[in-house]
Amino acid sequence: MTTQKLTMKKFLNDPNDIAAELLEGYTLAYANKVSLMSEKIVVRANPKPEDKVALVTLGGAGHEPALSGFVGEGMLDASVVGDIFAAPGAPKLLEALRAFNRDAGVLLVVLNHAGDVMSANMAMELAKREGLNVRMLLTHEDISAGLDTPDEDRRGLAGCVPLYKVAGAAAEAGKSLDEVIEIAERFNKQMATLAVAMTGATHPQNGQAISELPDDEMEIGMGQHGEAGGGRTKILSADETAEKMIEPLVQSVDAKSGDQTMLIINGVGATTLMEMNLVFRKAYRLLEAKGIDVVSGMIDEILTVQEMAGFQMILCKLDADHIPLMKAPCDTPYWTVR
Amino acid sequence: MDSLDCRRFGQMTATALATLKARADELSGLDAETGDGDHGTAIVTAMTAIDRVAQQGTDLKQALGDMGFAAMTEACGSTSTLIGALFLGMSDGVQGDALNAADTAAMFSAGLKKVKEQTKAAIGDKTMMDALQPAVEAMEANTDQDIPTMLQAAADAAATGAEKTKQMVAKFGRARNLGERVIGHLDAGAVSTACIFEAFARGFTASA
Repeated sequence: MTTQKLTMKKFLNDPNDIAAELLEGYTLAYANKVSLMSEKIVVRANPKPEDKVALVTLGGAGHEPALSGFVGEGMLDASVVGDIFAAPGAPKLLEALRAFNRDAGVLLVVLNHAGDVMSANMAMELAKREGLNVRMLLTHEDISAGLDTPDEDRRGLAGCVPLYKVAGAAAEAGKSLDEVIEIAERFNKQMATLAVAMTGATHPQNGQAISELPDDEMEIGMGQHGEAGGGRTKILSADETAEKMIEPLVQSVDAKSGDQTMLIINGVGATTLMEMNLVFRKAYRLLEAKGIDVVSGMIDEILTVQEMAGFQMILCKLDADHIPLMKAPCDTPYWTVR
Repeated sequence: MDSLDCRRFGQMTATALATLKARADELSGLDAETGDGDHGTAIVTAMTAIDRVAQQGTDLKQALGDMGFAAMTEACGSTSTLIGALFLGMSDGVQGDALNAADTAAMFSAGLKKVKEQTKAAIGDKTMMDALQPAVEAMEANTDQDIPTMLQAAADAAATGAEKTKQMVAKFGRARNLGERVIGHLDAGAVSTACIFEAFARGFTASA
């Protein structure tokens, strides 16, 4: 639009071209792992054999490296990208579902956000009409609205990424669609995410500030796009923040002494790895004190929200099926296991 | 009496597109208060696709279906599916190519029905539904009037409905996590919907 003014300190060209341009750059950089099947559809450079279940996901751009960063061997087969913070329309998603349709089946992983779910439902309706072999799984692990919140009111945050890992490894191992879904759904129920934000983000297409926070406050429960949520408080230390967040996560997944877990600190953009290490340390020690075993840890930026400061803490309870799947090889631009 | 045909519908979408473009920043600003600030961009993208198809249309039923699919293809986010569904539904509800007031109301009713298949949002939930449903109900209540009068009644009802969203707590989309903090803010989707119906009324008359 001609009325837009670029006043942000961001390296941009035409705001309308951001999503297409970033995917072009991304697929050029990692051409040995990913490529563009068509505009806004990122696929593996070396396709998975047709006799294995395909994994497809969808979501808005602006959250790099998510979601397309996890396309590759052992994780996603395709990522269908919309515009900045906005789901792709149903026809684009249908295009990907058609391309990956196979006897083994396609699993469509959808994060619970209004736009994503509406596009996915419409695409599923169109796919059914064409007889495509597709099933859908919805992630909804955000607990910021409270532990008793019904699934449909819980958003899908960065927990989708470890879920891609588990489901992708199961698919790669040749499991059937039913088995992949069963394993992924079990993982889905055993993970929880809580987000904290210190500053809001700027929408890169229009410069609008999203959910600004006062200088001396932070907010636990801020969503993926900086939508204001749960509780605002004065800024707490790394230890205090970890303490406040780990308790509800432990409760949510019902982790008990002897349980094996994965703990992820996902930076959302402007929070340093330095800070994230401090938070992880305390969260780990708190789990340890409860006798909860962290068998797998990660401190990284896997799903970001522009220049927002804050992080998402993800706790996943792993069962005997999930642990080998987590350790299975994968080769994507942003998650590699050898 | 004036009837609604492809040419007039094209005049309505052209007016809607011009109006939405002029108000895009305002709509994104409203959205940023409670959402992620992209509604202006999204609705202009959707209406651009709709208007381009509308200008080439010859058969209203076919054209409306194409408009819905084009909106879904080119726009993103909730707007993509909701606006797309509105036009797909309107296509389902059209018979013939020169609609009277009752036919026009029936067309929009079918559009509303299709939108309701995509979302559970109802009146009072602080969404586009707060403008869309009153607009369609106003048409249904004014089928004995001429089309301009009926469209104006729809525009007025949509505007009133959109204004009411200021007092509402959001139950859908990203604003729902804000709780009572959204009171005092208009819903961007309801405002853009009211904007479209206002432009439809003006666009129909402009072409008379």
